[in-house]
Amino acid sequence: MATIAVPIGTQAEQREAEAVRRPALSEYLRWSVDHKIIGVQYGISSFLFFLVGGAMAMGIRLELLTPGLDLMVSGSAYNSLFTMHGTVMIFLFIIPMWAAFGNFVVPLQLGAKDMAFPWLNAFAFWLIPPAAIIILMGYFVTPAEAGWTAYPPLSTLFSGDGQTLWALGAHLLGISSIMGSINFIVTILNMRPEGMTLWRMPLLCWAVLATSIIAVMATPFLAGALTLLLLDRVAGTTFFDAAGGGDVLLWQNIFWFYSHPAVYIMVLPGMGVLSEVLSIHSRKPVFGYRMVGLSSMGIAFVGFTVWAHHMFTSLQPELRIPFMITTMIIAVPTGIKMFSWLGTIWGGKIRFTSAMLFALGFLSMFVIGGITGVMLAALPFDIHVHDTYFVVSHFHFVLFGGSVFAIYAALYHWFPKVTGRMMNERLGRIHFVFTYFGFLFTFFPMHIVGMLGMPRRVAVYDPAFTQWNQLIGIAAFVLGFSTFIVVYNVIHSYFRGPVAGANPWRALTLEWATTSPPPVTNFIDDPIPYEDPYGYGTEAATAYLDAVDETFRNGAPASSR
Amino acid sequence: MSNGISHGQKAKPRDQQSAALRLKNNRLGMNIFQVSWIMVFFALIVVNWQLRFSYAQWPPVGVTPFEPLLPSLATLALLGSSFFAQRGLAAFRSAEIKDFALCWRLTMTLGIVFMALIAREFAMVSAAALATQYGVTMRLMTGFHIVHALVIVGIMLAVYRRAGAGAYRGGEAAGWAVEGAAKLWHFVTVAWMLFYLVLYWLR
Repeated sequence: MATIAVPIGTQAEQREAEAVRRPALSEYLRWSVDHKIIGVQYGISSFLFFLVGGAMAMGIRLELLTPGLDLMVSGSAYNSLFTMHGTVMIFLFIIPMWAAFGNFVVPLQLGAKDMAFPWLNAFAFWLIPPAAIIILMGYFVTPAEAGWTAYPPLSTLFSGDGQTLWALGAHLLGISSIMGSINFIVTILNMRPEGMTLWRMPLLCWAVLATSIIAVMATPFLAGALTLLLLDRVAGTTFFDAAGGGDVLLWQNIFWFYSHPAVYIMVLPGMGVLSEVLSIHSRKPVFGYRMVGLSSMGIAFVGFTVWAHHMFTSLQPELRIPFMITTMIIAVPTGIKMFSWLGTIWGGKIRFTSAMLFALGFLSMFVIGGITGVMLAALPFDIHVHDTYFVVSHFHFVLFGGSVFAIYAALYHWFPKVTGRMMNERLGRIHFVFTYFGFLFTFFPMHIVGMLGMPRRVAVYDPAFTQWNQLIGIAAFVLGFSTFIVVYNVIHSYFRGPVAGANPWRALTLEWATTSPPPVTNFIDDPIPYEDPYGYGTEAATAYLDAVDETFRNGAPASSR
Repeated sequence: MSNGISHGQKAKPRDQQSAALRLKNNRLGMNIFQVSWIMVFFALIVVNWQLRFSYAQWPPVGVTPFEPLLPSLATLALLGSSFFAQRGLAAFRSAEIKDFALCWRLTMTLGIVFMALIAREFAMVSAAALATQYGVTMRLMTGFHIVHALVIVGIMLAVYRRAGAGAYRGGEAAGWAVEGAAKLWHFVTVAWMLFYLVLYWLR
């Protein structure tokens, strides 16, 4: 290769002055319009909520160790606990956590200096802390007891003021999500560098684009549903009360029209992360790149046509089969991704880094979650396991085995870029082993107790299920413990980790073609993307990567070339 | 070169966007916002539609249907105001500030006429209708719409005053606030047309 296009500047003196400095920790506590600061703010706050939601999960498992009530004073107390667990994990952990990686990585991958609307970006983040306070405050007044899905009449007649606060908080989070997503779409469509067509864009950007399209189209329905719920609770309307001419199924229709697509909001970015991590850590191009990008769009589109499968038992019978068919169709784009990932690592030079291990963990666990999803799409089976632990198992396989494993993969993969330090790989592997087996033994047995007939959302159960629940409980505590390993690893590596350098994984996407951490403007000069973001294994790619290494030797831009 | 900004200094990345890119971003962002937020109005239409089926007939027995005359006049006023908003924007772009101010005043006046007429409808819903979802969903939809109209008229007023004071001059990018306000007003019109059809004509 004669011409190697990397962001190599000519201002040598300029670079020397520009030392690689990490932002002071206090900058993360302040208002900032820098997408990298905002990304970390999103990441740290949602991880804190992960710990809160995880502690609640531990409480749930502690209660379920014995068939009777022991930790909880009543079934109502248990109801409010799992309601908070679901709400915190979905609205305050997974959705904002993807905004964290999206914010930090997407502008860098596009070679942009920031998001399209930096101020809006900061505003969207700063809506989250007040929303979280409002929701969590609800737990300490008369708590919501209706589950994260807040079905009336549970959420209208049988929940206290906590449910009102829940709805207000969720409203704010929805607005934050819409603003963040508008920002992502505009950034991705308008701010790509010259030479990066949509079909040369990294797959994380494709996934974030698809996710954001879902979020802007679906989240307004949540806003509508929450408005009605608030009016029913405080203004005396009866939209959900049949006695006043309302319809309880109205909530389910509108809520699931948002919340089923929201499932893909929670997992699609993880799928994008997987394409990145699997390709980079097995040194092979993504198999079927275009189909992966298109399948993200396919999932986004079909995701709007399946919501009523959450209502199989309450739906008009003639609508069941159509929704069963659309639900099964959505397995097709997901399957395309699955085969692409397998094709990507097939015959690759796999490096079992922690990021790669978690990506492989996603691959194996998400396949189980996907298959149980197809099982649940089948009407006769769904009616059999309706509201049992089988359903709990299914959605934890896709949300923990899927989203959380991908979040960990993303953390190990991009931590060096964010902080300039490598994470400890040995601790990472230990963390993976504990998480993987803790997860498997927590959630796989739930399939079995579910099929045996244990209902979900109960604090008191048939003593015949005691041993299963004790196995699940112990595995859950192992899983809970494993979280502390990664917390320690992050803190330890932030201060003591080895210096990462610009491109520790030798990756071709643009976020690695700048210093770690990147300067405020991300790139000193306008970066020129490599022609194929995943074109590993060619001489040209090696030359490009060598040039990047040469440019940013010792983690700082070389003073001269 | 003056781009050596370290973390200690306050960088304003937004200022680094060229005017052309900023305008392009604003336009796309506004379009996405409009497509997104119209979905809330669709959600309320779904509410109206699903609640119809709780009743044997619509409007329910013993409830007189809403009279469409005044709402139709209000709709005409709103369509007219949207027309003048567009005219005002065109006048602003060709730097005819007087024409712009006239059109913008007409827009706001017609908008206020619209809101007054709809507010009257809101207030005059009969007790019989309010005892059913027929009246309640009507209040939900018109109330929700008027809140939006009110906020956006407020935005238009702010733009009007600042434009009168000489702001937003010097090219399309600088005049974005005028364009954005006009687009928001069109959004109010489109959202109302949907509600108007559902509330007064689809029975």
